[in-house]
Amino acid sequence: MSLFRFELRKLLLNRKTLLLLLCLFVLYSVVGLTSTVFLIGGNDSYRAYEDLAAGWEGPFDSEKAAEAEKIYQEVSARYGTDARMIARSVKDRPEIILAVNYHAYAERVEEYWNGTPPESAEEPYGIALLQGKLAELKRQGKQDASDYRELSAALERLEKLGEPEFVGALLWENLFNNWGEHMMQFLLFVPLTFVIAPVFAVECSSGMDNLILSARYGRRKIVTAKLLSVLAASAVVVALYLAATFLFGFLPHGSFHGWDAAIQSIPTYARSMFPWKVWQLAAVGAAWLIFTGAVYSLVICLISSRMKSRMGTAGVSLAILFVNVGLAAMGDTVTQRLGALVDFGLANVTLMKEVFGGYKGFNVFGMYVSYPVMAAFVLGVVSAFAVLGVYRGQRSRTVQSM
Amino acid sequence: MELQLEAVTKSYKSKQVLKGISLTMGAGVYGLLGPNGAGKTTLIRILADVLRPTNGRVLYDGKDIRTVGDEYRAKIGYLPQDVRFYGDFTGRDYLEYSAALKGMEKARAKKRIEELARSVGLWDDLKRKCAAYSGGMQRRLGIAQALLDDPEILILDEPTSGLDPYERIKFRNIISAYAEDRLVLLSTHIVSDVEHIAARIMMMEYGTIQHIRTGGAYVQMMEGKVWLEEMPAEQLIAYQNRAVISNVRAKGGRMEVRIISDTKPVPDAVQAVPTLEDAYLYLFNYLPERAGR
Repeated sequence: MSLFRFELRKLLLNRKTLLLLLCLFVLYSVVGLTSTVFLIGGNDSYRAYEDLAAGWEGPFDSEKAAEAEKIYQEVSARYGTDARMIARSVKDRPEIILAVNYHAYAERVEEYWNGTPPESAEEPYGIALLQGKLAELKRQGKQDASDYRELSAALERLEKLGEPEFVGALLWENLFNNWGEHMMQFLLFVPLTFVIAPVFAVECSSGMDNLILSARYGRRKIVTAKLLSVLAASAVVVALYLAATFLFGFLPHGSFHGWDAAIQSIPTYARSMFPWKVWQLAAVGAAWLIFTGAVYSLVICLISSRMKSRMGTAGVSLAILFVNVGLAAMGDTVTQRLGALVDFGLANVTLMKEVFGGYKGFNVFGMYVSYPVMAAFVLGVVSAFAVLGVYRGQRSRTVQSM
Repeated sequence: MELQLEAVTKSYKSKQVLKGISLTMGAGVYGLLGPNGAGKTTLIRILADVLRPTNGRVLYDGKDIRTVGDEYRAKIGYLPQDVRFYGDFTGRDYLEYSAALKGMEKARAKKRIEELARSVGLWDDLKRKCAAYSGGMQRRLGIAQALLDDPEILILDEPTSGLDPYERIKFRNIISAYAEDRLVLLSTHIVSDVEHIAARIMMMEYGTIQHIRTGGAYVQMMEGKVWLEEMPAEQLIAYQNRAVISNVRAKGGRMEVRIISDTKPVPDAVQAVPTLEDAYLYLFNYLPERAGR
């Protein structure tokens, strides 16, 4: 058996970890299932919703918007303005859920044309707002400025994407929520931490360091084998989460309706700059989660290579995760001050809605670089640092003495 | 093949565990004897490249082992003092994993595992979990691991601890048969382990190697320093606090006491044939006591 297969067995293919994976699969299935069950009532309600939505889907219709607004005002007076809370309160009234969703869609259309308020701290968005800002820069003679180039590129992209259309893709919305909200970070990255943490620390605590460090392949090849096993284990855990939430998110209603709609039809991705279909976003999102899971795992690997115990490794890794999530959850004023620390922190880069749901870009030496590209670059640098650190650490590692 | 230590020191914070050891070893069996805390395990670990010296260097055929790196480690077989295992590994898993770490080809590894498992008497237990092995079986598995890749340099730290007398003799035979043209360094507390097989024996104390001689030379050094005296049991209790006694044997209601001493300890004491164990006690107990250490 090759070293890689042994390392994989030590990390993943052993009875304890397989049992943990089984428990995780059950947990993730419950997460997928319950999120769908709370979305709308039984299968009949969902079918009725889909039938009703078929008549409302397509470009913006002001009459339907007015009708939806009326219903929304009535229900929001009773249940509050949060669409998810309304949906949970009237689970068996698909016509109300549809009206509330159409109301939210109408707001997105309004935003597409008129954009964010001028005083908003967010990146400028919306046709009219971008046109206004460009006209102002033009008046100031700043057509060559990078701001002007960025804004005109944003306007061009927005015009090209066109006004969002309404699609009743409830189940996809639910899936993307499961894949892209902070809860996912706890459900996925916390167990991942415990799976990866022993990778190097176990050699120290088990006393196997003696055998490994005195062996021909104990300084370099073993690191390669361990890194590959970490990547494989991380991919398996993330894939488990993706598969369970996907399967049990769609299974109760047996429908993939909306799979080929533009992602701008999904509320969280209304401002996305990518001209993707819903299924394409799902594929990219899954790949992104596997990628970010791998990067986080490499960071744990680096920590593990410097620690004596798996619990110590897990503690430090979780502290990093929680600090990142905490920073990202701070108010706008704090996150703006922290800038790149939050933008490229673990909390933000692992959320696909943050990376692919916006239109954020960065000016790198006068060149516009989109957030996903920049995030991929930063994560690549972090990974390279972690990998080099692990190799260097193993080269000079010694057994614990005295 | 030559292994050379050049002024090797090892310190942990303010404590110096090895104090400038310089030594050259060629092919043959070397025994390393010394009391607890002498620095034997630290020295062994440095030679096994799992610990780095604070100062000085270890040379393999004139080249620093840190420079030789993988190729040096490819030539050594190392049995640590404390052999540990992964909980879910069987004996076969452990040996296969060791073979993979040593970079052995699959077919050769399989053959060697079979040979060694038979020679250390573990063939029927290879499918059992290592954690369920007795102390002696774990030790034998460790010995098999160290010999797996037919190493040029074999470094064994307390190889016979936990082995019963028959297993110890068997182990000595394996090492003797193996040692030709190879360097075997054997660190132990058990004098008889090295007495019969080591060509040279190093006596280590306080982080330095005090003596390097053949077993015969140590025994010769002890000529006239080992005495036998018979005394009643009550007298022995008081006597043992002021003398180094290597053995006591009950003999017809009295005690036959084996005493280490430069001079005749009591008027009617008679000289005895010395052993390596007597030399060990002389160097590590008698002389330090005389020197007031």
